Parts: sequence; structure tokens; C-alpha cells
Amino acid sequence: MTDAIVSCRGVSKIFGSGELAVHALREVDLEILPGDFATLAGPSGSGKTTLLNMIGALDTPSSGHVVIDGQDLGSLSKAQLSDLRLNKVGFVFQAYNLIPVLSARENIEFVLELHGLERGERRQRATDILREVGLEGMEDRRPAQLSGGQQQRVAVARALVSRPRIVLADEPTANLDSRTTGELVQLMYRLNREMGTTFVIGTHDPRVMEHSKRHIELLDGRIASDERIG
Amino acid sequence: MMNTIRIFAPLAWRNLWRNPRRTLITLVVVSVGLWSVLAFNSFLNAWTQASKDTTLQLLLGQGQIHAAGYMDDPGVETLMPPPSDGLLKALGDKRINAWATRLVVPSVVQSEYKTLPVMIVGVDPKAEGRVSSIPGKVVEGRYLNGPDDDGVVIGRHLAERLKTGLGRRVILMSQGADGLLAEQSFDVVGLYDVDQQTEDYYVFTGRTAGQKFLRLKDEIAEIVFTIPKDQDLAPVIRSLKAVAPDMDVRSWKQLSPFLAATNSFMSGFIYIWLSVVFTLMAIGIVNTQLMAVFERTHEFGLLQALGMKPRLVLIMVTMESTLLIGLGVLIGMAMAAASIWVTSDGIDLSGFARGLELVQGGQVLYPKFDAGSFVLFSLVIWILGIVVALWPARRASKCSPVEAMRMAT
Repeated sequence: MTDAIVSCRGVSKIFGSGELAVHALREVDLEILPGDFATLAGPSGSGKTTLLNMIGALDTPSSGHVVIDGQDLGSLSKAQLSDLRLNKVGFVFQAYNLIPVLSARENIEFVLELHGLERGERRQRATDILREVGLEGMEDRRPAQLSGGQQQRVAVARALVSRPRIVLADEPTANLDSRTTGELVQLMYRLNREMGTTFVIGTHDPRVMEHSKRHIELLDGRIASDERIG
Repeated sequence: MMNTIRIFAPLAWRNLWRNPRRTLITLVVVSVGLWSVLAFNSFLNAWTQASKDTTLQLLLGQGQIHAAGYMDDPGVETLMPPPSDGLLKALGDKRINAWATRLVVPSVVQSEYKTLPVMIVGVDPKAEGRVSSIPGKVVEGRYLNGPDDDGVVIGRHLAERLKTGLGRRVILMSQGADGLLAEQSFDVVGLYDVDQQTEDYYVFTGRTAGQKFLRLKDEIAEIVFTIPKDQDLAPVIRSLKAVAPDMDVRSWKQLSPFLAATNSFMSGFIYIWLSVVFTLMAIGIVNTQLMAVFERTHEFGLLQALGMKPRLVLIMVTMESTLLIGLGVLIGMAMAAASIWVTSDGIDLSGFARGLELVQGGQVLYPKFDAGSFVLFSLVIWILGIVVALWPARRASKCSPVEAMRMAT
């Protein structure tokens, strides 16, 4: 028994069957520890997204076990997996994926509503986290009225507001220019340092990897290297 | 549940307007569909009521009392005495608007050119005017002056067939009370104009004059009565039967089964129309909602990725349908209410008078607002609409979050 937030043991994922079967992950063993700021790198098709999906309880392995905060995903129903994601995991997507009909604040409050928080507390926490990510004064703007970088900040705020055990980001800077990328990476890095939030970031971007405290390299569905930096 | 509604209702409402064109199409489908059901129902009711009123006001009344056996063999042998004190008291019931006695026997009418079978109807003109519309339908000459008026009022079409007219004389022949032939000439004092069938068949004279012609004392053939409220009909018939157990008391439904069946069919027809409209509407709703769900597959997956349970996705999409169809229902109700209000002064169909005669339809229809059917049909449309929209909602709840992630990356 370790204090790992995520523990993968012999995880394999096969898409399709027979001659058309694709082995996206092969016998992966991995532990994500509290406070990690890990980057998951590797060429396209190496299994980064598949592994992030496993860690985020979005998908279940074909074989092996994924345990998140002590809960084995294989034993959970769809509703229980939803609960697990709601309470333990925050997501940041490449395409931001904000709800277009809600303002920046409402996008964040929506997650808190799913948690059943009262209106006053929701509003306070949404306002605080938006200030934290540098979007004070933009609370009432809808996604279409924000730049790409600002939308991604809202997405980070949404992922963090419910204080999850781990935040997973899949290519979060792929659609951003270099200045915005720098700002976003600094933001995530600061939140990791100051709030102790665990981040696992799937990326090709060297500017993200520069701040990484742990670098995991995937190749053909296997972990080719896993090194802690500094 | 209330908490869930509070969270998702505003989101559902905003989602509706993400594609205003599609939302408007669904609104039009629902509102026009419901409007057609409500307006058609009101029009059908008006038509049924007008047809019924026209027929009942002609001669039938809401009910009639005869001697036992008269309806099977109407004639001088099956007449009855004037109403007894007990029956008079029962006819004074407040629920009975008016009543009149008639002498009705089969006869033949003869002119210089033709002899035709008719029913001779002896009336008390004053009382008759309160139960029948025919005294007001005299188009030439006059109606009868009193029970002893020995002129005749005949239908305009009968006059044409007999090649006779106002001021001419016709001969009526029938069996007298003594079993011998009764024959007498009468002056034509008036011509009335209703439907052709009635005009051909009924010839009116004063009741006392008719009794004298048939060598009767004071016997009558029927008592006709009118009742303003439909719901009073059955209890009044029961109370009349109680005071006149040996007499034949019948409601209009028994006297004219065809009219009763037509009424019943018309009431049932609206449900056929409702099912046709609903089927078309359901196809429209399912199509547009499925399209909306298909376009937002990614978003439903995303919501589940954020921790929203599939059940909540189902509730959210169902709520969108509930709001959308509910809004369509409200618009449809408003449109139908406006249509009824605009036509409540009457829809004049007198331009189709000859055709309406054939189906015994009223010439002026008065659509009425019926709160009960408004609420019932609107609720049926709303609830059934939500039920069919559950299919697209279920599809939305089945979206896989990992597929959404794949689309996102």
C-alpha cells in the first residue's frame, strides 16, 4: 500500500480485435504521487492520451488495474466513475471545452453546483479562483468573448475549483501562442507549488517540459523512461 | 429533484437558443399542431351544437311524452288525454324551459294536381312558439292565430310539389276518431321555409281545429318540452316517468338515434385528429431533438468527463424538451384562444345553406372557449411530447466521455 494518488499495475489497452487490434498500452506500471508536476511525453500514437484517459477514470483498461485514491476503476459503475471524476479529478483539454452558453464564472460554478454547494459559496469560490488565474473583471464573459489563452485559464480554474486530488491536462498549450503558453505553464506551476495540486500533463511542448519535476516518456504503449528532475 | 431543476433549468433554456432556427421550427410544429387540435375541437363542438340545436328547435324538443304505442303506430287510436294535474305539476319543473301539446296524425293532402302523404300537426301557436322555431320561419302569409285557427301553414317545397300557394285551398284526409274517413278543405294561410324534408312532411293547423276535423274531443298526440341544460335532461326524464308511468317519455336521443349517433361520432372525431396531429408532431420533435443531440455529442461526453452522471444528462436534455414543448403548447393555446375569440360572434355558413340542409347542419356556428378541453388536450400534447423526446435524451446520456475526449484532442 503506497500513498500514490494514481496507481497503474500491468495496464494494457487494446482497441479492436483480431488482426485489426491496436495495442495502445502494454503492461504499464505507474504511480502518481501527491504534489507531482509530471509531463507525459512521446510521439503521436505512443499512448499518452489513452493513459491520461485511464488515470482520469474516463476509460477502463483491457487488463491490469488502475486505482485512483484507493478505488479500483474496474469495480465501479458508470455513475460511480462520474462521482470519482467529479470529486478527485480535474481536466484541462486542448480545445478548452467550456460550456458555450455559460459565462466564465458560470462555467466554474457549474462544477460546484454538481458538488451541491450553496449559491453564496459557489460564487465566492468561482470569483476567488478566477482572480487566482488572472481573470478578474472577466467573470461575466462567455467563452466566445474570451481569447484562447483566457479560455484555457477558465478551464484551469474549472479544473481546480473543486480542489481535486489530481489535474490532468492533455496538450493544454497546443492551441496557444508562445506568450500565452508561457503564462499558462507558469500558472499551473505556481498552483502546484503554492496549493500542492498534482498535475499530469500530456504534451510535446518543450516549454511545458522545462518546468516538469517528473518526466515520463512513452513509446509504443510502454513507459520508456520515468525520471524525476531536480 | 428541485435542486436538480434549479441547476439545469437555466442551462436548458439557454441551450434551446443555441440554434434558434431549429428551436423555432419545433415551436411552430408544436404550436400549430396544438392550435389545430384546439381550434378544430371548438369548431366541431360548435358544429355539433348548431346541428343539434337546429334539429331540436324544429319540432323535436329535448324530449316528448306520448301514449304507450303511439310511436309504433301513430294515429287517432293511440292518442292521450291532455296532461293530468300531476303531469302539469311535473312540467312546471324549473329545469323545463317550455312545453306544448300537439295533435300529430298521418294524413294526406290533396291539391288540384297532386295528393301527397303528410303529418298534420295541430298546435297551440302561443305555446308552440316557445318550443319550435317553425312559427318564426314563415316566409309568406302568416302563422296560425290560435288553437282554433282552421287555416293551414305548409312548407314552401310542399306547396311547389302540390302546385298550390298562399290563399289557395287544399284538402286534408285522415281517419277520424269514429273510424270513418275525415275530409276537409283548409285555406293555405302561410308558407314556411326550413329544410326540404320537414317542409314536405309537416302541415300545421290549430290544435282545436285539428281535433274538430278528426272528430276528437280534447285528445292530443304528444307533449314536447325543452330543457336548456343538457345535464338536466336525464333527471327530468326520470321525474316525468315517475308521475306518468303508463306513458312513453323519451329524450331526443331516443327519439332521434341518428342525431345522437352523429353527435357521439363528432365528439370522437377530435381524438382521431389529435392522434394524427400528435404523430406528425412526434416525428418533428424526435427529428429535431435527435439532430440537436447528435451535434452536441461531444458536449455531453465532456459534461460526463467533468463528473456529471448520465442520469443528470438525461434530465437536462429532457428539461430542454419540456421547456421547448411547453413553450410551444402555450403559444398554441394563445393562438387557439385568439381564433375562438375572433370567431365567437359566429361563423356564418349560410352561403352553403343547401348543403348544410342535407347534413342537418346549423347555418351559424358559435365556437366557444372550453377550459376543460383546452387544459386536457394541451397536457396530452405536452406530456406525450416529453415522452417521445426521452429517446433523444437517452441517447445523449449514453455518450461516452472518452469518445468526447478523443474528439477534443
